Amino acid sequence: MFWTWAVITVAGVLVGIYAPSRLMPRSMSDNMHLTILTMIVFTVAAAPVAAGVYAAALHALRHWTHKGDEVPAAGPAVRENATVVTTWLLVSTLLTVFLLIWGLGALAVDNGSTGKNPLVIDVTGQQWVWSFSYPGTHVQSDQLYLPVNREVEFRVTSEDVTHGFWIANMGVQVDANVGTITTIHTTPDKLGTFDIRCTQFCGLNHAFMVTEGHVLTSSQFTSWLASQPQRA
Amino acid sequence: MTTTLEATKTAAIPQGGGLHRRLNMLTAMIGGALFAWIFWFLAHHFLDPTSRTYSDEVTVSLTFGWIVGFWLGIGAFNAPFQWLVGRDNTRDDDLYLAGQGQGKAKYWKFTTDHKVVGVQYIIMTMVLLGAGGILAMAIRTELIIPGNHFVNQQVYNGFVAVHGMLMILALIVAVAGPWGNFVMPIMCGARDMAFPRLNALSLWTLVGAAALLLTTLAVGSLTMGWVVLEPIADQAGVGMDFFAMAIIVFTVSTTVASVNVICTALTMRTKGMTLARLPIFVWGVIIAAALGLYAFPFFSLVEVLTMVDRTFSTSFFIASGGGTGWLQANLFWLMGHPEVYVILLPSVAALFEISAVMARKPVFSYRTAIAGMTGLAGLSILVWAHHMFTTGWAPTLGGPFMLTTELISIPTGLFFLVLIGTLWRGNIWMKLPTVWMFGFIANFIIAGITGIYLSDIPIDNQLHGTMFVTAHFHYVFVGSVLFGAVSALAFWFPKVTGRFLNEYMGRISFWLTFIGVQVTFIAMFLSGLRGMPRRYSSYAMIFEHTNFITTIGAYMIMAGMLVLLGAVITSWNKGEPAGPNPWHANSLEWMVPTPVPLENFDVLPVITEDPYNYGEELVRS
Amino acid sequence: MNRSKSLGVALASVLLGGGALALAGFALASATPHQAALNCVPSQSAANTCNLNLSTFPDSLAGEHGKTGGDHPDWVSYSNDNLVVPANTTVNVTIDQYDSGGSLNNAFFDQVMGTIGGVATIDGKTVSSVDPTNVGHTFTLRGIPGSGKTLFVSVPLPADSNTQAVTIGEGSYTKPVVVQFSFKTGAKGVYEWNCEFPCGGGREGQFGQAMSTYGYMSGTLTVN
Repeated sequence: MFWTWAVITVAGVLVGIYAPSRLMPRSMSDNMHLTILTMIVFTVAAAPVAAGVYAAALHALRHWTHKGDEVPAAGPAVRENATVVTTWLLVSTLLTVFLLIWGLGALAVDNGSTGKNPLVIDVTGQQWVWSFSYPGTHVQSDQLYLPVNREVEFRVTSEDVTHGFWIANMGVQVDANVGTITTIHTTPDKLGTFDIRCTQFCGLNHAFMVTEGHVLTSSQFTSWLASQPQRA
Repeated sequence: MTTTLEATKTAAIPQGGGLHRRLNMLTAMIGGALFAWIFWFLAHHFLDPTSRTYSDEVTVSLTFGWIVGFWLGIGAFNAPFQWLVGRDNTRDDDLYLAGQGQGKAKYWKFTTDHKVVGVQYIIMTMVLLGAGGILAMAIRTELIIPGNHFVNQQVYNGFVAVHGMLMILALIVAVAGPWGNFVMPIMCGARDMAFPRLNALSLWTLVGAAALLLTTLAVGSLTMGWVVLEPIADQAGVGMDFFAMAIIVFTVSTTVASVNVICTALTMRTKGMTLARLPIFVWGVIIAAALGLYAFPFFSLVEVLTMVDRTFSTSFFIASGGGTGWLQANLFWLMGHPEVYVILLPSVAALFEISAVMARKPVFSYRTAIAGMTGLAGLSILVWAHHMFTTGWAPTLGGPFMLTTELISIPTGLFFLVLIGTLWRGNIWMKLPTVWMFGFIANFIIAGITGIYLSDIPIDNQLHGTMFVTAHFHYVFVGSVLFGAVSALAFWFPKVTGRFLNEYMGRISFWLTFIGVQVTFIAMFLSGLRGMPRRYSSYAMIFEHTNFITTIGAYMIMAGMLVLLGAVITSWNKGEPAGPNPWHANSLEWMVPTPVPLENFDVLPVITEDPYNYGEELVRS
Repeated sequence: MNRSKSLGVALASVLLGGGALALAGFALASATPHQAALNCVPSQSAANTCNLNLSTFPDSLAGEHGKTGGDHPDWVSYSNDNLVVPANTTVNVTIDQYDSGGSLNNAFFDQVMGTIGGVATIDGKTVSSVDPTNVGHTFTLRGIPGSGKTLFVSVPLPADSNTQAVTIGEGSYTKPVVVQFSFKTGAKGVYEWNCEFPCGGGREGQFGQAMSTYGYMSGTLTVN
């Protein structure tokens, strides 16, 4: 049983270390790096636990099944084992506390604005189109443009129903609600293109409520802003 | 002196029953249709057809008429009315109501015998799972390749909520309905449940609610998930009104059933059956029932408020009128999270019971099992807002809800301790129930761990609303609860029918379903990790391979379920005969003959120990 | 029941059940309502160009819903919801707008977006935006998310304030506002379009009823 446990644990740890960044979208923000790291940590921590359950079940299947057709005899009538129960409770509590501390820590890092004059962008969801506007300019666009390495604050609202504003490459998601503004921060740190998808079922064309975003260099971003038609 | 049993053995159909002699499911449907029409006509006649809310008003009327007529037609009001006018039931009436001498006809009527209700619940579970399964196949067929080639967006979107709700209803009753009814009273040493008429009422109300839910599909359905969030629910057509009414009616069914279960287990245990000697399955059903009693009224409340918003233009959930969709989400999830444990607990408790019998050992740490189930139920009341981490509703509450949600992993872990502890060094009898139990163990660990990912807010910010979530809860519902339900079916099938569920077909079904679950939902996890949101009728090319594989896996699960259906149908009357105690177990349901006589026991037993003493004189075959 | 008989029953269950499901699936797919396709008419004068003519009405008495206006004669409607155009083509769209209008709820849609030149011609005059307080409908087209070229076209259709009477089908209207614009299609696939000026059902998000139903204010554009 120990070796089965060990093999499954090692496999789980390897999956935990290598899989998240390969299975998830290319990370383009500080949030996303932390999210992927958290996935790695949680998977590695979960591996020995899952392995324990599988090893025990496999061992039971291999060694403790009754062979033959007659009714099996009784097994050992063990009703209690204080040591086992206590140890189990202790280990599971410690593991949970560890995950909790990590999670709360990551949450604090995530939520903290650097305070450094973020670029504010108003995001409006309407069935079934995202639109973005840049306060202080008169620019509105159906695609999102961001300058790299500058913290951005999205102020998200909806015209009609609840939508989900999600940038998969940046680990940011917040609902767009009617009559209120929800806020989320991130700092993009890679150039490139990404998708913005709606994650809250919002009616007929929910699956088509997707638009593109672009992370540009600072100067490219300024040029883009200047080139956009000025709207009232 | 003839005992009750001897008397009923030779008795013909009793003289009593009154109006019940003429009432059955057909009269219920006729009654429902008739009253639906009457209320529709009245609404149509007296309400202003140009009003914005006219169609909602008419629909609410109509659906109300349906359920009132259905209840009248099945005879639900007979006894209360008789009580009112002073004509209490005679012994003959009670015997008639209990189905004595009526053969198969009693399954179509308002029959109070808990064993009949149990079988009716088996049928209802299969009907709901079947309908939900057909929709699942439609959904997966649409998603086999990108684009909308099978049906269009509009039609597809209408499947999603109804699939979800049908399956949720099916799983709420899947173990607690058949076995909480058929087996639980006998396990307690009782002759029937505390409130036999309420028992029949809970089943027939479920039938009435299911009819409303299925009708939703025919009237345009809804283009929102089963959570029917506001404010989008305000936009929906009359399908939303049918849906809301189905939920409100269903809550009546579960409330009545919960009360019945709790009262039966607390007051009708036979002499010597202390709570400490109660089979663990009964504990599971009681705890689930209590949790359901707390949670389901929230569901009913939120649907009432939704209907009131739609029909009377109030603004509980409409921002421009001063309300907020967040209120709806909170009320809903206050129900929604405990509800998944109402679904899980009976399944787990049945497996505790089955593992003890099949390993020929006592349940390992019976007290941990109880503590785990109670802890889970209690904590589940405090975690609901983890479904709302990304709504932006209350960012400061993120930490506390993360805390409570991660704490739930502790009682959940205890379930593994009890199951594995029971199997440890046992003499495990590898029969069909055992096979499905091992499947549960393999799947439930994945379900639990992926839940822990989602409880972490930064990860949830990435994975909320994606197919990762869908795969997680399908591992819970299909991979775990369903496996437990099938195990329970295979286990208690001989008690209901006197025959074994076909072992060979059951194993074919197991492998198809088990492998199907891994293929379907692991591929679905990958879709979600890659970035595919939920409830999409069509998707980007990068998701095409994982979706294709998911659909193939889904077809495998369907094949597995079809084989199971074939096994149930053929084994019911033609399966290998089993004696009254084929598993050589010790709980009371195995001590009575098969078929179980009308009032279960000739003489109520006196209990001196719990049912887990294997290898001792107590075991009788 | 012996093993081979059990296997037989298992197989039969899967085949019968699967067959029944497949049949139900076919029935469902065929029953899905489908308007006849409006094919883009190839232009005589320019290569790789075609012309598409649509109308928007204040009810459903004209267009594809038949004489009595179908299930919802009072719902606003586009004349066709099933548009078919070739790939890699310039599509010249003409929309006759017969409906009245009002103030856009989201001024974002007063701009012409995604067309060739970023402009549209309204009653002969070329503009890049319209008065947001006087809009009838919009034609907003979006592409397949994450596949091939992102396509986003949105053209506001001003409200019709003409008085000269016109009859089309069973409907009585006034002389329409004529909106023309062009856009280029790219890769094959099915794209979704709808009007982004909500006016159907609900109180807040008025995207229910006609707005979310094919054949009224929503439709598809098949590029093949």
